[in-house]
Amino acid sequence: MSVAFARPAGVGNRVVVDGTTATWRDLPELALPAAPVAVLVHSARYALAAARHHAVHGGELLLSTPGRVDAMMRDELRDAGFTVAELGADAVGVDTAGGVDTGGTAAPAGFRPVERDRLWLLTSGSTGRPKRVGHTLASLTTVRGEQPARTWLCPYAPGTYAWWQVVTLSLTQPGQDLVVVEPEQFDDWPALAAAHGVDAASGTPTFWRRALHRDPVGLARVPLRQLTLGGEPVDQAILDRLREVFPTARISWIYASSEVGAAVVVHDGRAGFPVEWLDRTTPGRPTLGVRDGELVITSPYHGAGLDGPIRTGDRAQLVGDRVLISGRLDSDEINVGGSKISASGVRDVLTAHPRVAWARVTGRRAPLLGHMVVAEVVLTAADPATAAPDEAGLVRWCADRLPEYAVPRRIRVLTEIPVKETLKSDV
Amino acid sequence: MTQLTRARIRDLMGQVLENQGRVLPDDDGADLREVGFRSLDFSELALRVEDETGQELNFDAPGLRRIATVGDVLDFLVELHRQ
Repeated sequence: MSVAFARPAGVGNRVVVDGTTATWRDLPELALPAAPVAVLVHSARYALAAARHHAVHGGELLLSTPGRVDAMMRDELRDAGFTVAELGADAVGVDTAGGVDTGGTAAPAGFRPVERDRLWLLTSGSTGRPKRVGHTLASLTTVRGEQPARTWLCPYAPGTYAWWQVVTLSLTQPGQDLVVVEPEQFDDWPALAAAHGVDAASGTPTFWRRALHRDPVGLARVPLRQLTLGGEPVDQAILDRLREVFPTARISWIYASSEVGAAVVVHDGRAGFPVEWLDRTTPGRPTLGVRDGELVITSPYHGAGLDGPIRTGDRAQLVGDRVLISGRLDSDEINVGGSKISASGVRDVLTAHPRVAWARVTGRRAPLLGHMVVAEVVLTAADPATAAPDEAGLVRWCADRLPEYAVPRRIRVLTEIPVKETLKSDV
Repeated sequence: MTQLTRARIRDLMGQVLENQGRVLPDDDGADLREVGFRSLDFSELALRVEDETGQELNFDAPGLRRIATVGDVLDFLVELHRQ
């Protein structure tokens, strides 16, 4: 399949990055080391420039941020034949006018043939160390039909699957502008988005919960017509809260990963997807299945070498007419004295409390039972209509709705919703 | 490590029961079945002791024993806490 877009159709789209407005065409020209190259970007501008460079010139590229690539991963990349180069900010060896100075690069341990047009992604590492998954621009470009003109917010870390989704949309489709959120702008993104007319935004449920928690008034000022959630389990409570703020917007959730690509897209405002989508075979579309409580996907957008049904490691449950994806199988199950608890089920009960903005539920080692259910929560801003619950009040809320052994007995109240570079709480 | 007294552990035991809508009797000889103090409550109490002391309890150390009364729970945890 042809991959590099010699003249990407979206190069004239507006790009707002580092506080300046330009187009894809105006981004710095890079002269990268010979492929295969792993580019670690210190700023969003250079990440976009590297993406455009790949779209125009092809080659073999892994794009990430320095924070996601530790010393061991650098060595692994060099052993795998990559030149590791840092780009942007104060990184040594950056010269966008004349190319990258080799003083800022680490040479590969050995040379190997280049996989033309290969793009490598690092998984989020939710199941251990990040893994490399091979894609191409074509396999990452999952939005192909004509779209209404939009100005998209891009809050994702460069090089992640979700980042590539937004970036390929803007690079390949005219009328899809991009406003990039830098890490230091993360807490104030609604003001940035409102100032630049962002009307479409994609983020994790944690990203949206944090915005609702920190600045609901500022969030409501963003003229959003499209909201997308993904990267973490999407529960009904967060969909409903966003619907209250944006009553006329389209609110979608997407199931996508580096391994299987974008596999599920739901627009009806409900958590989960319809049961009738299971085991339905349509050419060019992923086939979804549930095997032993696990979501299994056969996708045309999978990473290289991942052909056929792929066990996602995510728990899928049939509830009424929907299939709910509730969390990682290996971390979702808590064994309390032989009784198996779904952490995500308990989390959903907590977040259904009108004063709980966010919750994380885990198992904690305990005598007699092996583990007990414990939780951390962030409460919503003070509301005169409802008193802030204390630990005992939240325990009672759960006790009224859950089996006794599933009730979190220790609940810690945090002041801020924790978030990682991946925009997730847990990874 | 914060040292917990027997009285403080008793307070924590009272909080565990209070959160469950029950009351800890004054009598250390009270039978746990009558009090309604069960394995979930015992485990929660252990976590509360750990949280107060900042130290994980080693439940393997004292060996198995019969714990039937409020006093047994307190003695067990005091002993465990000192090790």
